[in-house]
Amino acid sequence: MNGLLLVAGREIRTQVRSKSFVISLVISALLIGAVAFAPKILGGSDSFKVGVVASQRLQVWGDAKVEWKDYADEGAAKRAVLDGDVDAALVGGTKVLTDGEIDDQLGLLLQSAHREAQIGAAGVTVTPLVMQSVGADTRYQKTRTGIAVVLVVILFMLVIGTPMMVAMGVVEEKSSRIVEILLTSVRPVQLLGGKILGLGVVGLINLVVAIAAGLVGALASGLAVDFPPGMAGIVAGVVVWFVLGYLFFAAFAAMLASLVSRQEEVGNVLTPMTMTMMVTYGVAFYSAADPTSTVATITSFVPPFSSMVMPVRAAAAEVPFWQVAVSAVAMAAAAVAVALLAARIYERAVLRTGARVRLLDVVKGR
Amino acid sequence: MIGDMLETQELRKTFGTGKVALDRVSFAVRPGEMFGFVGANGAGKTTTMRIVMGVMQADSGEVRWKGAPLGFAERRKFGYMPEERGLYQKMRVADQIEYFGRLHGLSPAAAGKAAGDLVERLGLTERAKDAVESLSLGNQQRVQLAVALVHDPDVLVLDEPFSGLDPLAVDALAEALRERARSGVPVIFSSHQLELVERLCDSVGIISAGRMVASGTVDELRASEGRKLRVVVADPEPGWAQDLAGELTVEGGREVLVTQDDDDQRVLRAAMRAGRVEHFGVERPTLTEIFKEAVA
Ligand SMILES: Nc1ncnc2c1ncn2[C@@H]1O[C@H](COP(=O)(O)OP(=O)(O)O)[C@@H](O)[C@H]1O
Ligand SMILES: [Mg+2]
Repeated sequence: MNGLLLVAGREIRTQVRSKSFVISLVISALLIGAVAFAPKILGGSDSFKVGVVASQRLQVWGDAKVEWKDYADEGAAKRAVLDGDVDAALVGGTKVLTDGEIDDQLGLLLQSAHREAQIGAAGVTVTPLVMQSVGADTRYQKTRTGIAVVLVVILFMLVIGTPMMVAMGVVEEKSSRIVEILLTSVRPVQLLGGKILGLGVVGLINLVVAIAAGLVGALASGLAVDFPPGMAGIVAGVVVWFVLGYLFFAAFAAMLASLVSRQEEVGNVLTPMTMTMMVTYGVAFYSAADPTSTVATITSFVPPFSSMVMPVRAAAAEVPFWQVAVSAVAMAAAAVAVALLAARIYERAVLRTGARVRLLDVVKGR
Repeated sequence: MIGDMLETQELRKTFGTGKVALDRVSFAVRPGEMFGFVGANGAGKTTTMRIVMGVMQADSGEVRWKGAPLGFAERRKFGYMPEERGLYQKMRVADQIEYFGRLHGLSPAAAGKAAGDLVERLGLTERAKDAVESLSLGNQQRVQLAVALVHDPDVLVLDEPFSGLDPLAVDALAEALRERARSGVPVIFSSHQLELVERLCDSVGIISAGRMVASGTVDELRASEGRKLRVVVADPEPGWAQDLAGELTVEGGREVLVTQDDDDQRVLRAAMRAGRVEHFGVERPTLTEIFKEAVA
């Protein structure tokens, strides 16, 4: 079998068998599942419980849901309000009991419903206003922003974490000198490619589990109902963007890591890569909050920023498909270019143990 | 089967620092031959072996195998133990040996079987499922050897394989190498331990400051060294050896003369005139002596 696949297979087996892999997988799945499920626990602000004493239930319009509960007398209703069983209690159709100041939305709801009921009683029918947006469809805005933020976090964790593993692996082989034996039977490109492929598969496993946990959590909490159309496309897009971003940063990391021979030096030598990644992360986070800004639009085309900004932009707002495609092609080209450069540098530097090798020396072939 | 030789031809290597590490290094190792590669620290042994194994490129010159330039596919069937040992510390012993078998081109089944056999032969059965890092250094050395042997290599190249081994382990390793050589594999190893090389090797190459200063069978080297006579005379007359070139030493009541004088009969007559001759013979120089002479 091809040396590259053998190397990749070893990386996957080694990672999947390790305790730390299993633990981090479980933790990230739980975390993301919990984040997706959280709205249910925290209670969506769009649904209220209102107690009623000696009065009619009011008719409310709009998205908000009101759950009514009857109480025998004002005393019982008061207790329910204080115990937090209900958000408010309507007494005798004239006053509302609350624990502290009433929620703004609930207050408005009750006022207008009350007004309508009285007007209705006078024989006038009120037709509710029809709301129509002439701008972008913002119905899913909150959910979209939420999804976008979660995506940034997942992508960031994996796109920084997995190339880090590649870097550690490169230095491990260099510092243990095993690379000298390896290179008698596999070519440097195969060794590097196999490592990036194998750990990439491990990263993908992580990503898929994280997304699955998020979806399960969202379904369980009912959040999934608010998912914008094309959710499947967003998820598929994330996988593609992970692959592109990972390839870019992993090759970058491997190239830098091949310059040093000791694990202690890895952090230092990777600084250019981690800086690039932090900037990417910052821009992506900003774009999640403001996906239609100029910064978000421009950086979603510039590799490597695009690897995180574009998926976030696409999740947070509508982005024409051609834009996504153009950006993906540019990112893929950048990733391939870095990978080719990394292969050359790695090949020349990986056997040079001892002091840190200067990048310039390697490029010049000294 | 002269065609099955491993040869280096005029290898040259200069490092970036301007250091000339190898200067036209040539030697040949025949099938089934144990070739001892000796030289002082920094003489160029490791550099030569790295070039043979393709992990370093020569500036010029060539490594040839079976009469043709050595390529990646053929080299993949070689076994190598680098001077700086290296294993995946966290990988299990048997898995690691098997993995290298696969990298060297064995099928999964063949690699698994070869790894199992080696683990047993090297006495590592109990540790087969342990991580390498939990093994003693001696056992790690065995795994290192197993990694070099797992694919039944066509050629064995070992850089200082005996360094750091206790005498029993030295014997065990020597036997393992002899066995490979007997099956027709050229075995090349470097060492500082000249007595060991003399005992084990069919032929020897001496490298000094990047140049091969001598190579051939131990007997050939001795012959080129020139014949030496050793004469021991008891209670000789003083000054008996004045006319003879050579080194005279006094041991107890005896005088010992080591000379390169070609006329052995003249030396013998002089000795007999001087006193009772207790020993007269041709001195076989040790490899250590040959080495000192060669690198001087
Ligand atoms: N990577 C390197 N860079 C610069 N000089 C080197 C390098 N490797 C070896 N040398 C030099 O080349 C010479 C030969 O080294 P080496 O082949 O390791 O000798 P040996 O194995 O016989 O002790 C030494 O002078 C050594 O300092
Ligand atoms: Mg050496």
